[in-house]
Amino acid sequence: MVMTIFYILVFPGFLFLSAYGLAVEFVDRKLYARFQNRKGPPWFQPFADFVKLISKETIIPAEADRRMFKSLPVFAMTAVLTASLYIPVWSTQSLFPFEGDVIVILYLLTIPTLTFFLGGWHSSSLYSTLGSVRVLTQLFAYEVPLLMAILGPALLAGTWSLSGVSAFYAANPIYALVNIPGFVAAMIAAQGKLERVPFDIPEAETEIVAGAFTEYGGRLLALFRMTIDIEMVVVAALVSAIFIPLFSANPWLGFLFFVIKTLFVVFLLALFRSVMARLRIEQMVRFCWRVLTPLALVQILIDLIVKGFVQL
Amino acid sequence: MVFKKLINWARIKSPWIIHFNTGACNACDIEILATLAPRFDLERFGVLLKGSPRHADVLVCSGPVTLQTKDRLIRVYEQMAEPKFVVAVGTCACSGGVFNGCYGVKGGIDSVIPVSAYIPGCPARPEAIIDGIVKLLKSLKQ
Repeated sequence: MVMTIFYILVFPGFLFLSAYGLAVEFVDRKLYARFQNRKGPPWFQPFADFVKLISKETIIPAEADRRMFKSLPVFAMTAVLTASLYIPVWSTQSLFPFEGDVIVILYLLTIPTLTFFLGGWHSSSLYSTLGSVRVLTQLFAYEVPLLMAILGPALLAGTWSLSGVSAFYAANPIYALVNIPGFVAAMIAAQGKLERVPFDIPEAETEIVAGAFTEYGGRLLALFRMTIDIEMVVVAALVSAIFIPLFSANPWLGFLFFVIKTLFVVFLLALFRSVMARLRIEQMVRFCWRVLTPLALVQILIDLIVKGFVQL
Repeated sequence: MVFKKLINWARIKSPWIIHFNTGACNACDIEILATLAPRFDLERFGVLLKGSPRHADVLVCSGPVTLQTKDRLIRVYEQMAEPKFVVAVGTCACSGGVFNGCYGVKGGIDSVIPVSAYIPGCPARPEAIIDGIVKLLKSLKQ
């Protein structure tokens, strides 16, 4: 009982994820700055931003739905924290694994996106409404390729449990080589899920102020930003647990591998962010359905063929 | 006490700015953008350019306040969350400059809203803008 509470609140739950999320945001921003030949922010920058936002006045617009406006950031944060319970951290096993938790993680990661939509919608401001409609439009484009890219490796492993998939690839790392198209598709879709360049259309600050977050400020915005940081950790951990077969039976070494893998994924995400420019929404939807989804389908086909050969 | 110190530290380390042109000739705006671009890199002081006044701490204004922008300036200022600061960039923003007394001009920024820092110059150079913002942050320490 005490251990369970410790797992949920301290490690690898709330406190660890918040601290690691801020660290990952720093790594992302620093890499982005270095790619642009800048010096970049100091290491405590995300923490300072968080404390400052927490201590700022929180304004709730008169037009907005007060209850929804205030509760949605909490919902978003709860969903990503719950998703982290099914992510393996120091070994191939997550804390509470069960058959089918891959689907549960993907559902729980969809909830923050929906809260961004609802938060923007309930702000009743023009820019946030526009931004939230774009959030939903984009959701329909990247969600399917992301699910299918993860479906392929899971089919090859023959299980719907993330811990099972990780254990399979830890035992047979050579099979991870056939999942490279899926890895590419999942990385691009993750960029859309995290709403970063080139898929930052929902909060395009040069067009629609700050998208769904336009009316949010102070404490509520701090919660939303923290949610996005933790979501980045969870997505990086999910992608790395499935596609990068680097595990260890030793918990300390396993944790080190976890940090290396997630930082590698964050490095790739930051690289994408710095070399791309923002797409228009219809370009993004077209790209996702015409290129990304077929790529994920090819991945499933490859995995089915490999599985057939293995069973022969 | 410790919390107050931490909060004050965080405010000094993370000033997010919003840029508003109150009727400038665009020279100061170009200089402000140059300050934010990679060569001068204000992000090393934690400065980020935000689109929404709700997110920002510092309102960076350029140009004399024309009668057209006066109401909008007040509206943007009131949309910002406390604590908030205003920086006037350029001679026109400080005092109205050569446009002072013109039929369509109200005057400097401080004729409409309270201003915390004045950065003169026509236009103010990026070094001057950085200097002004750093001085504003230093004054927050007390």
